[in-house]
Amino acid sequence: MKNLYIKLTFICCLFLMACENEEWLERQPQNIITDEQLWNDPQLIKSLLANYYNRIPTLHGVFNTGGMAELDDAMWSGHQDQNWRNDFQFGDDYGRYWDYTYIREINLAIENIDQYSVELSDEEKDLFKSELRFIRAFIYFELVKRMGGVPIITEQLIYDFSGDPSSLQIPRATEQEVYDFIYNEMEAIKGLLDANSSSQTRANKFVALALESRAMLYAGSIAKYNAEMGSPISTDGGEVGIPSGLANEYFAKSLAASEEIINSGGYEIYNENPDKGANFYELFMQKGNSEIIFAKDYTLSLKIHWFTYDNIPRSLTEDNESSSNLSPSLGLVESYDYLDGSEGTLRYQTAGGDYIAYDNIEDIFANKDARLYGTIVYPGTTFKSAPVSIQAGIAVWNGDTYEFRNAPNLGDNYDDGQLWTGFDGPQDNARDVSNTGFYMRKFVSEAPGASTRGVAAENWWPWFRLGEIYLNAAEAAFELGRGEAVGYINTLRERAGFPANSLSALTTEIIRKERRVELAFEDHRYFDLKRWRIAHEVWNGSDTNEDALVYGLYPYRVVREGHEDDGKYIFNKVRPTRFRQPRFFRMANYYSSIDPNVLNNNPKLVRNPFH
Amino acid sequence: MKNYIIYILLGTALVFGACEYDNYEEPQAILYGQVVYDGQAVGVRTNGPQLELWQDGYELSKNIPIFIAQDGTYSVSLFDGEYKLVRKAGAPWLAELSDTIIVNVNGHTEFDVPVTPYFSLHDETYQVGNNTVSVTFTIDQVVDAAAIQEVNLYLGYAVLTDQNKNEHIAGADISNITLGGQNTIQATIPEHLKDEEYLFVRVGVRSNMSGEFSYTEVQKLDI
Repeated sequence: MKNLYIKLTFICCLFLMACENEEWLERQPQNIITDEQLWNDPQLIKSLLANYYNRIPTLHGVFNTGGMAELDDAMWSGHQDQNWRNDFQFGDDYGRYWDYTYIREINLAIENIDQYSVELSDEEKDLFKSELRFIRAFIYFELVKRMGGVPIITEQLIYDFSGDPSSLQIPRATEQEVYDFIYNEMEAIKGLLDANSSSQTRANKFVALALESRAMLYAGSIAKYNAEMGSPISTDGGEVGIPSGLANEYFAKSLAASEEIINSGGYEIYNENPDKGANFYELFMQKGNSEIIFAKDYTLSLKIHWFTYDNIPRSLTEDNESSSNLSPSLGLVESYDYLDGSEGTLRYQTAGGDYIAYDNIEDIFANKDARLYGTIVYPGTTFKSAPVSIQAGIAVWNGDTYEFRNAPNLGDNYDDGQLWTGFDGPQDNARDVSNTGFYMRKFVSEAPGASTRGVAAENWWPWFRLGEIYLNAAEAAFELGRGEAVGYINTLRERAGFPANSLSALTTEIIRKERRVELAFEDHRYFDLKRWRIAHEVWNGSDTNEDALVYGLYPYRVVREGHEDDGKYIFNKVRPTRFRQPRFFRMANYYSSIDPNVLNNNPKLVRNPFH
Repeated sequence: MKNYIIYILLGTALVFGACEYDNYEEPQAILYGQVVYDGQAVGVRTNGPQLELWQDGYELSKNIPIFIAQDGTYSVSLFDGEYKLVRKAGAPWLAELSDTIIVNVNGHTEFDVPVTPYFSLHDETYQVGNNTVSVTFTIDQVVDAAAIQEVNLYLGYAVLTDQNKNEHIAGADISNITLGGQNTIQATIPEHLKDEEYLFVRVGVRSNMSGEFSYTEVQKLDI
């Protein structure tokens, strides 16, 4: 009994003591970050920004091996289950993009900084808001490239539960308005990003200008080249199509932005290695070099990508699967000119149709634009300092003509004890080995373990680099009839091994080819051909149009005893069996169709032409 | 063991029993016909131009695409009802987006869709000569604003022969084309087709207003 009293007293004391300290009940939750905490802590805001930066959209970029296999620069030679990439037509929804969730998150973040951030300085707030606005403008650029004009939404839309959602149904802005929005946003924020000026992975003034440079070039060329079509693609409300009178204004804006970057002195064309080919490759692999304006970075064990696993030449892979998913096309290889300025067509046959024999397998590629080496692994070169073994087979002379024989297994030797088919193929109708005779070098890492799934690669993805800005400047200046255009292209060609001032005048064709070879696999070609309005001519789906097809060039060792060509190499142009359908871009692909569910939800949206 | 069988029977009964209730009845009606200009079917690329059907009166709307066969015929399974037919862009004829055609579908319904091609081809005759195929045809301008971009003779292995699927293309010199009059294209049969017994041939014309060609009927030609 006495014990009970003691216990009761003790418990009562506990209660009384506990009640005094009311703060004890006011504890912060352990598993929720409140708005007040988030928007007052620069570290937390940065980690949120990292999420937004990470989601910046792309079509064929950011190490998207599959996407890169869908154009004329390469075909798919990986697993058969993705062979549809060699056997498809661009559908009505190809490239469709409509991510207003992402835009809403950014709008919300901007509003929350205004509402909740009390402990941040004004400079910090401006910096974070400007970065968010940069990302938002980048999303709108991606939208307008693919869909034309889209609704411009810059604040969160809140439903009032009145039963009438029409206040949430925003009509499409015109294509012109979206490009103007991007320009105005970049002009507004470019002065507020100084704190990031040394960063290559966060938006700074020159990243904003780079987006301006690219977007204004797109707007200018759409204005110009759309009007030159037989029947321009447009809608009555201007949701699609830009009036041609605005072309020069946009080109001038693009040029001004490019010039500001070029003249800033903060960036320079990467030119560190006297070996021009290796130099061009290192430009993408050397992190922190001063050509890169804005990049998406990777680091081992934290954030990695599998581009090297996907694309390393077969004999050099350190993993037991995959490799060699992309087989670059002969068309791309031939678009690299010779250093003496002549057309890049490879001389594998005489005009009479006889094969030309070369002493060494790499001789046919001699004196080519060094960017070829930096972009593509071709026969007779090395990767990771190891020679690649690219040889399709042997060419046996049967008294009348050459008979091409391929070994049953890669790496087999022929009866004469010498190599029959190389360890790297090429092999027709095969998987995980080149089907064209070429492999990727650009973006494929030479680091140890980079081709394994366990380690993978950490080289970064360049969103913007000075080389592109030079090309943008050249194109805009050329469209404006300004003389300095040729100098920009010559600078890039000199870096690629051409003599100084290798061109004296520009043409549209030269500019277009330079963009193809300099920016190959950097997610430009599809959009470039679209804005020039030539995609439907280049990729016209015709089996007789070589531009729409992917070809390979197979090297063979000559077996012809007693003849001077014995032991030399000849080359045969082939259309790989796995490449089934020519690329076919219809008028309807200039602007992707809008999802019918989106149209149903918002009756104010106008459909795109052809859809 | 006995339990096991009962479970299987029970499961099977459930599966089959359920089927009766969760399916819609399949559409029974068929709308069919061809795209015509001037009483003549307009040939198209296989899997190329499309027509579009819409039906009003439902909360959500979604187009029903109509695929057109290479000879200009089409058919589509539908429910009975009233539909709106649209001649959309991306075809060798004028897009008439605001001028929809009301089609009442009731059972087997035939409906020929009138279209206005930019150019029309007719009266084609083929001659086979010494390793050559030549065709004589008349070409009429239908839409005044259009200009000819390409006129081609196609040779192919099969009935599906067009700009995309073919074995050989012979293009005409556009500057020599006479509108409203007779034109000729001659093609030399290429090496890989010489030993064929027959080829499928067809003529196509493309205007600068569209990416698609309109074609004559495919003909089988003994060579």
